[in-house]
Amino acid sequence: MEEIVLRLEGATYRHSLYAPLPFKPWRRINGQGIFSANLCLHKGTVLGLVGPNGAGKTTLLRMMAGILPLQEGSVYDSRKDLNTMLSDADLRYLVGHMPEQVRWQGRKTVRNALLEIGEMRQVDQSRIDGLLKLVGLRSRIDAPLNELSQGMRQRLTLAAALLGSPNILLLDEPLNGLDPVAAAAFIVLLGKLTDKGVSIVISSHQVEGLVGIIDRLALMHRGQILAEGTMLEVAQQLNLDKKTEISGEGNAPDFSNYLSDTKLIEVEQSSVEWRAILNQSEPGLLQKLVGDGIEITSWAIRQPNVIEMLCAATGQSIEDVGLEVSSTAVMPLRTFRGEEE
Amino acid sequence: MSDFSRIMVFAKRLMRERLFSTRMYIMLPILLLFIPGMAWGFSDPNIVLPGGHQPESPMEVLFYASLGVVFGATMCAVLLSYDAVSRERASGVLELRLSQPMPRAHQALAMILGSWRAILIPTWILLLFSILIVRYRMGDWPSLVDGFVYFISTALILLWYVLFTLLASSYTREQGTAISFGVGLWFLFTFLWALVTTMIAYASGVSIGQENDATWVMLEGGLDLFSPNGVYHHLLETRLPQIDRGIAAWQTWAMALAWTVLPSWLFIRRMERILP
Repeated sequence: MEEIVLRLEGATYRHSLYAPLPFKPWRRINGQGIFSANLCLHKGTVLGLVGPNGAGKTTLLRMMAGILPLQEGSVYDSRKDLNTMLSDADLRYLVGHMPEQVRWQGRKTVRNALLEIGEMRQVDQSRIDGLLKLVGLRSRIDAPLNELSQGMRQRLTLAAALLGSPNILLLDEPLNGLDPVAAAAFIVLLGKLTDKGVSIVISSHQVEGLVGIIDRLALMHRGQILAEGTMLEVAQQLNLDKKTEISGEGNAPDFSNYLSDTKLIEVEQSSVEWRAILNQSEPGLLQKLVGDGIEITSWAIRQPNVIEMLCAATGQSIEDVGLEVSSTAVMPLRTFRGEEE
Repeated sequence: MSDFSRIMVFAKRLMRERLFSTRMYIMLPILLLFIPGMAWGFSDPNIVLPGGHQPESPMEVLFYASLGVVFGATMCAVLLSYDAVSRERASGVLELRLSQPMPRAHQALAMILGSWRAILIPTWILLLFSILIVRYRMGDWPSLVDGFVYFISTALILLWYVLFTLLASSYTREQGTAISFGVGLWFLFTFLWALVTTMIAYASGVSIGQENDATWVMLEGGLDLFSPNGVYHHLLETRLPQIDRGIAAWQTWAMALAWTVLPSWLFIRRMERILP
């Protein structure tokens, strides 16, 4: 198990919403946010924050970046077993934050834009030039911001996040706007950073794109972390076992002859072939099928995918999770501090 | 690098960005026309003001020419700073800045200094030209103290307008709202304050606009302390002994301090709590 570098305990932040009443025009109410989040960041790993739109991924990243103050709970620096409680200011030193889609604009040059942020971190010019080279913007160093494409702006934002040589890097939807080649280069760069011991948190709603990048996964929904761990651990937490996918030619066999419970298998029949998904392992099934002369063209073990995990964690269907428009009226899935929110 | 140096470096960068912006190039002719232009006009030896009055001293000419600052430079201050926060907020750059270790209060101070100096530098240069024009036309220099008060008062009124605009910019997510707020305040203090004064005088039973009526003069002088333009004129009047509106110099300087400290504190407090 990798060393834990940062630990969130009961971290809570509720957005304050303007809700005027005729005799209380200044009235504000607590809205959505993050409810009592517990999370550990491991050294040199990539943690994927996954959830539908409005799940609270960006809010959680802003809390970890020291931008939004914790209303309840704490953040601890757990490096070398120090377990020191961190303030917002400490977090800003420790963490590099790449916000979602910064729209750099103006006549300022790329170098000057980065210098401006660098001066706030007291970073020297050589570091800035090195970072621009690292993110592939060396040839655009004197270009005005107005002339940058969206992908170049993303690279510039990444360079800004890397300015302080952070131990923890928070990336909010980093692949947005990147072309496939740039995205691949970006992923290679993340690999180099984790090799150096940098812990990375990536938030994305493009869940399938994350699978090859992340070491750990945190599933979020309505401001809560529903499950966290490696893909395997999360699948186990959600009781999502490995599934077996079987396919063959012709008509599908009558599985009631082979299985005690036909609910364990879902069969799809097309004109020339059939496909079945077995939801739990059934020793000896393949042998029986082949022995009865049934033509099997493929037999593969399939890991549950991230969307299945998210659906299992929320107890909702793909449509409900994906199309739900979050609003302040939406209640969290669990009670919060003993009260129905 | 100390905290102070970091604030100054950041402020300098923000200042340069605004000082050499397109909008400054657009506003420069307006400033040229208003500030040295007014000094040229009011220093004409043959000028006769309404009521048959003729300016007698260089400081009096500079006092009248300060209308150029009130009408031109303050509007430029609003137009230069209206998007200082709202634009960075809308583009996401503010979020990036807020995630840096530099404390938010220091960032706010740098924003104030940067936006203020961007309008202050051209205005002060033009004020210097105005003094040279007055010397050329009248053959006399204002005293050193007169010049000092003139420059400091002008710096203060520009700071106040920058602060109002920055505050508006920090509260609004749309740049249009920020500029409307800034221009609205400018209209209130530049054109509508006379209406406010008149209404209060009417409600108090004071005869309106009677320059020989001490009650009216004192009411107008008192209410002017609640307008940045009024305080600016009070500050300049401290160097014009022939003008007495019943306000002591210490009262004027105290209000100038209040106009400086209160909006600065509000803006810094706002920046400490702002959400990206």
